[in-house]
Amino acid sequence: MARCGRAGRGTARRGTAPRSAASSGTATAGRGPARAAQRRQTVIAYLFLTPTLLFFAVFLALPLLFAVLLAQSRWAGFNLADIEPVGLDNFTDLFAQGSTFLTPILTNTLLYAIGTVVIALSGSVVIANCINNLRFQGVWRTLYFLPIVTTVVAVGNVWKYMYEPGGLVNGALNALGLPSVAFLQDPDTALPSVVAVQAWASVGTAILILTAGLKSIPETYYEAAELDGADQFTIFWRITLPLLRPSLLFVCITQFITGLQSFALINVMTGDGGPGDATNVAALEIYQQAFTYGDWGVAGAAAFVLFLVIALITMAQLWLFRRKGEDA
Amino acid sequence: MRRREFGAGATAALLAATGCGAPEDAGVDDGGVDDSAVEGRGSRPGSPIVLTLLSHYASEPLKSALQSAVDAWNATHRRVKVRTTAVKFTDLLTTYMVRQAAGQGADILHPYCLWTGQLVQAGVLRPAPPEAVRRIRRDFSPAAVTASSVHGTVYGYPTEVQTYALFYNRRLLRAAGYSGPPRTWRELEEAAYRTARRDRHGNTLVQGFGLSRFDDSTVVGQTLALLAARGGSLLTPDGRWTAIDSAAGRDVFDLERRLIDRGASDTGSTLPKAFPSGQVAMAISAGWWTAVLRGLMGRAYRDVGVAPVPGLAAGDRGTLATGFLLGVNSRCRHPEAAWEFLRWLNAVPVPARARGGDNGRGRDGDRGGDSGRQVSVTRMSALQVSVGSMTGRADDMRALLGPGSGSDPNLGPFLDALRYADPEPNGPRAQRVKSLLRKNIETVWTGRRSVDEALRLATRQLNQELGR
Repeated sequence: MARCGRAGRGTARRGTAPRSAASSGTATAGRGPARAAQRRQTVIAYLFLTPTLLFFAVFLALPLLFAVLLAQSRWAGFNLADIEPVGLDNFTDLFAQGSTFLTPILTNTLLYAIGTVVIALSGSVVIANCINNLRFQGVWRTLYFLPIVTTVVAVGNVWKYMYEPGGLVNGALNALGLPSVAFLQDPDTALPSVVAVQAWASVGTAILILTAGLKSIPETYYEAAELDGADQFTIFWRITLPLLRPSLLFVCITQFITGLQSFALINVMTGDGGPGDATNVAALEIYQQAFTYGDWGVAGAAAFVLFLVIALITMAQLWLFRRKGEDA
Repeated sequence: MRRREFGAGATAALLAATGCGAPEDAGVDDGGVDDSAVEGRGSRPGSPIVLTLLSHYASEPLKSALQSAVDAWNATHRRVKVRTTAVKFTDLLTTYMVRQAAGQGADILHPYCLWTGQLVQAGVLRPAPPEAVRRIRRDFSPAAVTASSVHGTVYGYPTEVQTYALFYNRRLLRAAGYSGPPRTWRELEEAAYRTARRDRHGNTLVQGFGLSRFDDSTVVGQTLALLAARGGSLLTPDGRWTAIDSAAGRDVFDLERRLIDRGASDTGSTLPKAFPSGQVAMAISAGWWTAVLRGLMGRAYRDVGVAPVPGLAAGDRGTLATGFLLGVNSRCRHPEAAWEFLRWLNAVPVPARARGGDNGRGRDGDRGGDSGRQVSVTRMSALQVSVGSMTGRADDMRALLGPGSGSDPNLGPFLDALRYADPEPNGPRAQRVKSLLRKNIETVWTGRRSVDEALRLATRQLNQELGR
């Protein structure tokens, strides 16, 4: 749509110039219709763009502006006339002494995202590489993709039961002669336990993207490396991994953003982020503030902070990969 | 099967108790509701008005009990029909907030009184009309009226009052050498340690004292009940500051921490499942649990006893009272009809049999038949007692649960507690305060923070919220 608009304007300019050069005497007379045609084409271009612009205005610009307004207001969420401006009070409350937003909520959010990305990425690189060397690759990919098409409520509940004191995981530990672990009840193990499930659930997407990335690496590199006598580890480290970097960058960024924003799994597995605040993350806190406590101002301010964190981390990731020579 | 029988029994008892379909209601129109008021605004002339009622009565026996009452209304009222919907209690507040934000709030709401301040501040609840206010102030206990009010304005009929007491398993206590429930904290601790058992892997077989992490209400409810029994309170009398960082607060946190450290409590266990399975010797919960346990445990319910929450000394009394109200949404298009339905349900006495609480069964579980005194109580009082709960109408409760009523004797301590229980605060940030308190209690339970640190942090956080 945008290309159409630009092409239209370009054609109009190209069309006007020769006419002006050919007949300077009729320039004044000719400029009028040419301008009118250009205006008409511009209008038509914007008309084509209107649905997209409207979509962005309604679903992006307006909510963004409203979020900015809410972050500086006190509002219960129902009547627009009740919005009460409070300046930066909501931000002050978020970072006040005794507030749990910075620690442990924001810290948990980062640990949750980092843990998920590290486990899912490293696991998926290894698994994708294995799948790439196996027969029936489609079957393997489908198997690993199954958690993605399973609802998060089902995934969360099944794992919750598996983690319970008398559950499957503790049963296996007991069978090995090990004591039971209170996975979701102990604040030291609760977050890692949920991170493991989130990583398990998101590994399928990463595998799908990485296997596609692996297939795009030309075979000639591997043949040359084998002729030079490189072993499997050297081939993986020197050829596969560097050439897989575009796919890795994509997986890394998208998984990180998902990790920073997700809360449904935590909501299912530990309720409101317990025990204490051990598994509470920013998105869950935003949801609770808005929809449970009716404090849309604090929720808006917290959402803004989360947005800044995501933007900063994404820029840092892009910068890091670009330094390594990868253009996103 | 047992649950189904229980549900059917509850429904039958309710219908019998409230005299549903009785001649005095037959053919009644929408008593007192002006037809011009119920027609016109959004409804086609001739078509009935349909009011929606959203509650947390999503499971048996509550679901059938409420539905039976609503069916009775619908059967006898042509112009106004009521349709019930329900969600789990843990989802109720969020559902109210989300549906209201989406412009799809129910006409009649059944919120926890803790949320009254928040819902009023958000403009969700409509003040009760003057006639309803007069009736509520006249007929309900002051604690119930206070719980349904904000700054002196009444927002609905107090439908349910819950007090907290100590549930104990007679069989487990007897096996440990105790003939009765503990009366002091010292006795409670001793009994908890002696009844607790674990297997060689450290898995809990029996908890001496169950500490539930199920939701805010269970975590905070049991702690505040112990706090009240110790003579403490959550807030200062003016409600502006928290009083949790006190000697009483420290004693309660210390007691809970000790019970966990010494293996008498396992917060990883699910109390609502473990107690009915005979894996918990003692636990503190609200009166509604009696009906749930009766439904789940069948004959084993004979082993369940209820006693007042123990205090420091025998005879010390104190506990927590919570409740629910039935109010009308500020966006309801037919408020007159909604208030009329609520009057019919909560304020009109009808003949009933005083045999509630055991759904027609006598003390020993045998069928009571038509035995039981004839009393005159509201439909809601009969409904609540039939599911093992209570309303704030003291006269109704005395008539239905008093001596000679044949009701479940386990309901007695909850009725007695109405006299001395502290009501739960219901300010605009009450739910947030409760959530923060829960998290701080859990940090003590899990050993994340010492009792002193948790009390200090809780005080800072709660005061910040109360000051907002």
